[in-house]
Amino acid sequence: MASSHAKDSSFLGGRIPPEIESMSKNLKDVDHDMFRRILKAVVSALDGKDCREVMRTIAESSTIPQKRLGHIIAGMYRLLSEAIRIPTSSLKQEAFKEDLRELRIPEDFITDFSSVVFGNRRAALEAARSLNDPHLPTIEELKWRVDVAISTSSLARAMQPSVLMQMKLSDGSFNRFEVPVSKFQELRYNVALILKEMNDLEKRSILKIQD
Amino acid sequence: MTSIVKETRSIKEAVTFINAIDVNKFSRLISRIIQKLHLKGERTFSEEEEQKLQAALSLDKQALNLVLETAAFILEQAVYHNVKPAALQQQLEAVHLNSDKAEVFSHSWATAGPELLEKLKHNTFAPKKLEYVGWQLNLQMAQSSQARLKSPSAILQLGLRNDDSEVQENVFVEFNHQELLELYNKLEIVQGQLDSLT
Repeated sequence: MASSHAKDSSFLGGRIPPEIESMSKNLKDVDHDMFRRILKAVVSALDGKDCREVMRTIAESSTIPQKRLGHIIAGMYRLLSEAIRIPTSSLKQEAFKEDLRELRIPEDFITDFSSVVFGNRRAALEAARSLNDPHLPTIEELKWRVDVAISTSSLARAMQPSVLMQMKLSDGSFNRFEVPVSKFQELRYNVALILKEMNDLEKRSILKIQD
Repeated sequence: MTSIVKETRSIKEAVTFINAIDVNKFSRLISRIIQKLHLKGERTFSEEEEQKLQAALSLDKQALNLVLETAAFILEQAVYHNVKPAALQQQLEAVHLNSDKAEVFSHSWATAGPELLEKLKHNTFAPKKLEYVGWQLNLQMAQSSQARLKSPSAILQLGLRNDDSEVQENVFVEFNHQELLELYNKLEIVQGQLDSLT
């Protein structure tokens, strides 16, 4: 038996997560309207918004028992999270749809799922998800000043330049410090060096590490 | 130029004491004082050392204090006005300091003066100073929200130290390529400003 398109396992990996298995069993009893309402709420949750109210409304207006509804929502959330994690260069729309067909998800629902993962909201969802990732603080604002000390209490004529920097970081911390001219040169040199290495790295990694 | 040391009553008194000190002992004294002049708020001599000095120079506590303070004052004035060693000697002789003692001052000033000047130029009021720059370049492969990244990320370690403390505080900042480029561009502008000063 020849397969025209040789595919390894689903984008979900070798073992389908249990909540997704459970969701696919339960989706048969959900009409398209209800599905769309749930999908909208799940996307909102992925975006980082609070959707407890919306979920409550859905639960109250539905005939589906709460427990099953819970499985459906969990499954949909997990499915979309996993799909968004993978860059579009690796997971193409057709492959995604194929994987969902293998889970026996109705075609209409597959189209809706697909439009979330490959539609124009994708970038915003990715950004919202990455907010939770661990990272060190980044620079939110950097202000600077170049001063020349003309005279001080110790020296009538000092004529010494210095750089004053004020750095506000993304974690809210604030640092104001002086950079002696020699250290400034060192900082500038090192930043240029890292940039050069980054460029080299980007050129190399594209060639070596295969997706 | 105007005299950097005016002959006030306390100067007169100090001069009398200084003139009586053995010149070799005095020379060592001045060397020590000039070494520590740039340190703010630090005693030049410990309690113990001061007591030994009192004995060695045959001065009581008050007299010793006056001599030490006056010597420090003369040197601070020399630094402040950046006088030439020869001018310093002349001015000190003008307030009736013996020429051998005046020579000790001008000789120490000639030797240790330039280094002292440099140190004082770098004393500033800024709360913290950047003392250390370290970095790490990583290739981030994945994170919770994204698989297969291959995105370069740099971490900059800035070691900041307060003037009056020995402890260095480390600030870690992360940059992606774009953010690092923005930092670089800002640094280039600052460099431009520094260049326009020379």
